[in-house]
Amino acid sequence: MKIANPPPFMLRFLKWFCKPEYHADIEGDLLELYDRRVEDLGKSKANFYLFIDIVLLCRPGIIRSATFHQPLTNNGMFKSYFIMGWRNLWKSKLYSTLNVLGLTFGMVCFLLIALYVYDELNFDTQHSERDRIYRVITHEKNPNNEATTVAAAGYMLAEEAPQALPEVEMTTRMQRAGRRNLIDPENPVHVQETVTLADEYFLQVFDFPLLEGDRRTALKEPNTIIITEGLAMRIFGRRDVINKNVQFDYMQTPLRITAVLKNHPQNSSFSFSSVMSMATLLNDEGFKREAQGDWASTSFTVYALLREGADPDTVSRKMTRLVHANATLEAGTTLSHSLQPIKDIHLKSAGIADGARNSNVDSIPQGNPVYVTIFSFTALFVLLIAGINYTNLTTARASSRLKEIGVRKAIGAVRGNLIRQFLVESLITTVIAFFAAMLIVALLLPAFNDFVNKKFELFTSAGLRFWAIAVALIIAIGLLSGGYAAMLLSRYNPVSLLKGLKLKTSGDFSVRKALVVLQFTISTVMIIGTIVLFMQVRFLNNTDLGFDKELMVVIDVNVARARSNFEWVKNEMSKLSAVQHVSATSRVPGEWKSIPRIKLKKEGSTGELQTAFTIAADKDFFSTYNIQLLKGRNFQSDADTSSIIINEAAAKILGITDVSDEVTIPLVARNQFFTPIYDDPTTAFGPRVVGIVKDFHFQSLRAKIEPLIITYHYNPIFPIDYYSVKIQPHDIQTTLDKLKAIMVANDEAEPFEYHFLDNQLALFYIEDQRSQTLLGWVALASVVIACLGLFGLATYSAEQRLKEIGMRKVLGANFLSIMALLSKDFLKLVLIACCIAFPIAWLGADLWLQEYAYHIDVEWWFFALAGVIATGIALITVSYQAIKAAVVNPVKILRSE
Amino acid sequence: MKRVQLGEFEEVVLLTVGILHGNAYGVSIKDEIEQRLNREVTVGALQITLRRLESKGFLKSKQGDSSESRRGRPKLFFEITAYGKKALEYSKESRDELWKALPKLVLKLK
Repeated sequence: MKIANPPPFMLRFLKWFCKPEYHADIEGDLLELYDRRVEDLGKSKANFYLFIDIVLLCRPGIIRSATFHQPLTNNGMFKSYFIMGWRNLWKSKLYSTLNVLGLTFGMVCFLLIALYVYDELNFDTQHSERDRIYRVITHEKNPNNEATTVAAAGYMLAEEAPQALPEVEMTTRMQRAGRRNLIDPENPVHVQETVTLADEYFLQVFDFPLLEGDRRTALKEPNTIIITEGLAMRIFGRRDVINKNVQFDYMQTPLRITAVLKNHPQNSSFSFSSVMSMATLLNDEGFKREAQGDWASTSFTVYALLREGADPDTVSRKMTRLVHANATLEAGTTLSHSLQPIKDIHLKSAGIADGARNSNVDSIPQGNPVYVTIFSFTALFVLLIAGINYTNLTTARASSRLKEIGVRKAIGAVRGNLIRQFLVESLITTVIAFFAAMLIVALLLPAFNDFVNKKFELFTSAGLRFWAIAVALIIAIGLLSGGYAAMLLSRYNPVSLLKGLKLKTSGDFSVRKALVVLQFTISTVMIIGTIVLFMQVRFLNNTDLGFDKELMVVIDVNVARARSNFEWVKNEMSKLSAVQHVSATSRVPGEWKSIPRIKLKKEGSTGELQTAFTIAADKDFFSTYNIQLLKGRNFQSDADTSSIIINEAAAKILGITDVSDEVTIPLVARNQFFTPIYDDPTTAFGPRVVGIVKDFHFQSLRAKIEPLIITYHYNPIFPIDYYSVKIQPHDIQTTLDKLKAIMVANDEAEPFEYHFLDNQLALFYIEDQRSQTLLGWVALASVVIACLGLFGLATYSAEQRLKEIGMRKVLGANFLSIMALLSKDFLKLVLIACCIAFPIAWLGADLWLQEYAYHIDVEWWFFALAGVIATGIALITVSYQAIKAAVVNPVKILRSE
Repeated sequence: MKRVQLGEFEEVVLLTVGILHGNAYGVSIKDEIEQRLNREVTVGALQITLRRLESKGFLKSKQGDSSESRRGRPKLFFEITAYGKKALEYSKESRDELWKALPKLVLKLK
């Protein structure tokens, strides 16, 4: 008789859910019934009924409990893994220490750098609509084909976009109009604040947290202002200042405080401390009229909140069309808009000028994406080096654990057990190292904060996500580095292990060698990077800039009287014995605010207009800054109003070879810097060149020396803005007090804002300096970690070869030859690493140095030094073990066998 | 004999196991009930009741030899325990009490 078989999946299903102790007889019943039904009803019906029966068997009493199939013994195994892992670590203290130390170093570096990088990458992400907020960028090309990209747009674009474009939900405008004293009228303390203006939607697009006030109405009314708690503390000494009045010293009406903002977090591109309502300006008819025709200016920073799912490219094209439909552009000018996500403002704004601000307002500080990338990679590399260390040390020690593995296998451990055991071991090491690293990070954090100028706290500032990522990555590294060893060690055949056969580890050893090479390659690249950075920063700070920057106090002109009455101020200052020179200028060499540019050409020349930077100065400028006059003469008197002095670069592009040539400065290209002093703004300014000065670096060394026009302080282009005071080196504080007294005597509202020029110049390169130090430390750590690994390997290899060394000594080998025997393997690896590292480092350094117009050359000795350092450290590390092995008495080693 | 309450189906199963005396296993119990009482019994309902009765102590089970007709799967034979018998008796007595208490008239009305 043919036996009909039920579909196997049904029985498997039954077996899967049924309690094991019930399974056999229930299945028996079912099968008995099944056979009977097949006879009576046929196979398909029998199948159907079987299926129904099985489904109806899915009842709580019959379904087994979910955890039941986990044999309890597994937990016991894990406990055993932990105990064994712990004992193993404890037994070989040297290797465990090396492992933990290496991992700890790696993690400390990784965590610190990761904190920094994470912060840089998460700028401006505190707003809830961050993914929908964009900054409007204007790309403009004037008839001379000069392109500008500015993060600003016109008033009306922001006004009309939400109505005209369905994708735009809301827009807001912001403007930084200049710097003024903001005071409590009842108790005036003169401190300069940036005058920031924004419209009523500002607090709706962005959710800056408010301590007090209503987000929707705070900026609606004219003559209202919102301030941050920090500013509130500074002006009033308390935070509950809502509805109190403050006043900018140039305005007639006081401003009512309608909201108090929390201070900005450190990862915010916004740094304003107060925002005045734009409605305040709209009271002014002139502003109103101008604003209503303003489609194509770059006077406002416009932020747009797009609707869900809107495509920024499409929207920006529509914005461009909207502007073109309404604005009449100058012939030959092209204009288009693009939208930049706000999270890109910090790192991806290269080539975008920060617009809508007065020239005396600092631009938004930018992050350097190059450094962020470099740091991310170094952080990962250091962690990688530490992981490699672990792998190397563990596999190197494999043979001392072969017996253990053999016995384990012989009494029934399958490969999975052994792998798990090794993984648990590496996990224990990782966790110990992690806690040690956390402790060290916590200790180092204050110093690190000082150094990178941030305010990290261990758990609050980076947030849960950061720690989740960091912990996951670290555990992954732990498992990965333990994983290779686990795979390798659990592979061997137990019989050969127990017979005491030596391992054929050639394959494994070459992997280990490759890993050592990798470690040292990375370390050497970092060493070279540090050297290059160090040399470049030193070069930047020590290059002769062509002017005197030491002991130069630069005092800002912040009140009108300091400008109009400058002759008196200068005179008073020069009377002080500690003051060597005083000069009044519009900008200073090494300027940190923007230097205005003008267009000009040589009189009678038919060529194109040339662009040059401009500084207005008095006749003491050159003596104060010790700038060398090559040809012609200095300014002499007020008759020099239309005299200019140019630098060599300007002389070159203008084609001026001798003094007394006349140049024409026609209407300057459209920008906010130009304020003509003549009644007729179209009148060209035709000054005469009276002198040529030697080129000096009036900008950062990243840029080439550009053409520069120095005009007389009374000139149609720009008024004076600074006093530069060259002082004597002794008793600086007293001198500063005296200078302040003079300024205050001139105008009591004087806030006395001053800088030391050399400090300001150093700020240009602070990022580089910081990176140099950071990279230096990381390089050090990576070398130390690599050396810890090397030390472990050397120790191990010396141990392995003790017998060989004993024999050799007996046969007459001397100390040096034994040293050489033990060291040369490792040295070879380090040398190979150097050979790989040099070209990589050379390429990287060259690429980075291109950012600077003035930079050092990459010289051969950088590489030589790095090579010597890497080899030297490796040699010292290895030789400790080599010497130990070489001086041991051979009798002691050989006796025992 | 407190708190011994047999459900209707439980009682049926328990009685059937008694009837089958010595040959009571899943399929035979199912067949017996279906024949005598003319009602459908699913394997699931039967099995869960058997297990419940066993866990309450009314039944005990014994694994039989594997048999050819069941493709080598063993039969699990059930037997009533003394406790199970008591439970049945108690159940019957309590019903009888109730029957006795029932006024004759009520029945005649039918």
